[in-house]
Amino acid sequence: MLSFLTPARRGSGLGMAMPALLLLLAFFVIPVAALLSRSVTEPVPGLQNYETLLGSATYLRIFFNTFLVSGLVTLITALIAFPVAWALAIMPPRMAGVIFAVILLSMWTNLLARTYAWMVLLQQTGLVNRMLMATGIIDQPIQLTNNLVGVTIGMVYIMLPFMILPLYGVIKKIDPAILQAAALCGATKSQALRRVLLPLATPGIASGALMVFVMSLGYFVTPSLLGGTANMMLAELIVQQVQSLLNWGMGGAAAFILLVVTLALYALQLRLFEGKAR
Amino acid sequence: MTSPYLHINGIRKTFGDVVATDHVELEIGEGEFMTFLGPSGSGKSTTLYILAGFQDPTAGDIRLRGKSILQTPSHKRNIGMVFQRYTLFPHLSVGENVAFPLRVRRAPQAEIAAKVKRALSLVRLDGFEERMPANMSGGQQQRVALARALVYDPPVLLMDEPLSALDKKLREEIQYEIRRIHQQTGVTILYVTHDQEEALRLSDRIAVFNRGRIEQVGTGPELYASPATHFVADFIGDSAFLTGELAEVKDGRATLRFNDGTHLADVPMHGAGARGGKAELMLRPERIDLSDAAGPQGASLPVTVEDVTFLGNNSAVTARTGWGDPLYIRLNFGHPMMGSVGRGDKLHVRWQPQDAHVFPKA
Ligand SMILES: Nc1ncnc2c1ncn2[C@@H]1O[C@H](COP(=O)(O)OP(=O)(O)O)[C@@H](O)[C@H]1O
Ligand SMILES: [Mg+2]
Repeated sequence: MLSFLTPARRGSGLGMAMPALLLLLAFFVIPVAALLSRSVTEPVPGLQNYETLLGSATYLRIFFNTFLVSGLVTLITALIAFPVAWALAIMPPRMAGVIFAVILLSMWTNLLARTYAWMVLLQQTGLVNRMLMATGIIDQPIQLTNNLVGVTIGMVYIMLPFMILPLYGVIKKIDPAILQAAALCGATKSQALRRVLLPLATPGIASGALMVFVMSLGYFVTPSLLGGTANMMLAELIVQQVQSLLNWGMGGAAAFILLVVTLALYALQLRLFEGKAR
Repeated sequence: MTSPYLHINGIRKTFGDVVATDHVELEIGEGEFMTFLGPSGSGKSTTLYILAGFQDPTAGDIRLRGKSILQTPSHKRNIGMVFQRYTLFPHLSVGENVAFPLRVRRAPQAEIAAKVKRALSLVRLDGFEERMPANMSGGQQQRVALARALVYDPPVLLMDEPLSALDKKLREEIQYEIRRIHQQTGVTILYVTHDQEEALRLSDRIAVFNRGRIEQVGTGPELYASPATHFVADFIGDSAFLTGELAEVKDGRATLRFNDGTHLADVPMHGAGARGGKAELMLRPERIDLSDAAGPQGASLPVTVEDVTFLGNNSAVTARTGWGDPLYIRLNFGHPMMGSVGRGDKLHVRWQPQDAHVFPKA
């Protein structure tokens, strides 16, 4: 009885977890610690790297760009993913299966290839501009690459599956009879959406949003290909500092700030939705 | 001619090749408690869903106070419904669940508070406003669902097997509550169940469903005393069926010939059956008697006793007809034959002429 609570048993549990803990130590804790230590020791000991990052307009602009794009990407992704997930949840399972296969296939396609494809689509003479002009929405090609617009479009596309999947999970679990009950109670479609469906889907929206936001904060490929040098984002800054300037101190400080923000958001999510999700 | 309060007029609904309901025709009076009784898959829920507006009928019409409601979307029908599954909004408190229909109708706050309180009191859940659905028993959740369905005074309340997930004792308790609420509010109720006891306990009238059609509509005693079909006879109460051949059919009365040559003349016949066709004689164990002497023509059959089991206030007798079909008879305590009847006795079962029915057999 209750033997799993005895010290001996707990000890052996820890023993079994040892390999995993060592792996975590080797591949996560040590690099992060190294990064942190370099950020406060290079080029000279002190917090000057952080002061520079958080104190200069240039670098603050990079933080602003990063958060703005990540926020926009998260918002737009959620707006697109919700109806898609809803449609997937109510359509016949076989059809949903096909669409899931397409989504997964696109996720497995090389990231660079997909991003280059967007560069082609978004350029001045690209398909998007031509279609917008053909429909008369614009009469001059608009700049869609080398700026944050392009970055946002490209990243929304990359991030959509990460929002659709958790949303599909929660929506699929909602009993359709609950929505029928709402309708008979007199709720219009939009009232049922606002008062019943959205609140019930919130845990899925939150976990999808967290994942997309956090991934966006540290994303490198899309911003560097579709964004211009004038609109740098955090990951680009880190790469630039470390690779081109060999400034491990600054790079480490930027990476560490990113890590802290990510963990803080994750903690917030746990606090708000722990237990409520199920 | 005044139109009925609620008229389910020739409803047919098909899903591909499956005919879910066919020719469902029913008139329901204001304030009536009407139950759809039938086995699973007989089209009861489909009929309710069409009333609720979740499904459109393939053919037919639904009229409330003479006006068709088929073009009105669910959320404007004003109809109340309690579902088989628990459908309280899990993120809202009990009070907010009951307030929901009033909130979406933008009722003033004071009115909402008063009506919610009254509705919860009606289902005897006073003071449960703050409780979350997850922290309530199944029976309590269904009572909240009932309060939520009644709070906006619907012209019709639909209930689709609302108690089927509850255990027997709780079910009976809530059946009693539902009766009281029906009497107290006078609301018109359409209730679906596959449990004959529940149907008999609750309803003013019962519509017996079988394979998408209504076989018979009537009060409980009517259905028990004069079932129109084999199916109804079998579904309501206990019954025995003895198969024979129609020797003669005349003026709604039949003469049956059984395998050993036994003839039974002048029994009321339901449905169409022609001479030479097969037919079944229906008898109810509690409506037949055991006796030394044969009864009048058409109301008695000779049998041989096979087994007698004393059960306290009654004895269960198993007997066999001359051609080998079993018949069960219940002898109440104090019956003159009780104690004397034994294995191998050659006796007669007798019944009142109106208690036997003949149904043609397909
Ligand atoms: N949405 C549907 N699609 C296909 N067949 C259905 C659907 N709903 C009901 N049916 C079929 O219609 C028949 C009647 O079902 P239902 O009305 O649910 O019966 P009951 O409520 O009496 O158990 C069944 O054969 C069922 O399989
Ligand atoms: Mg049903």
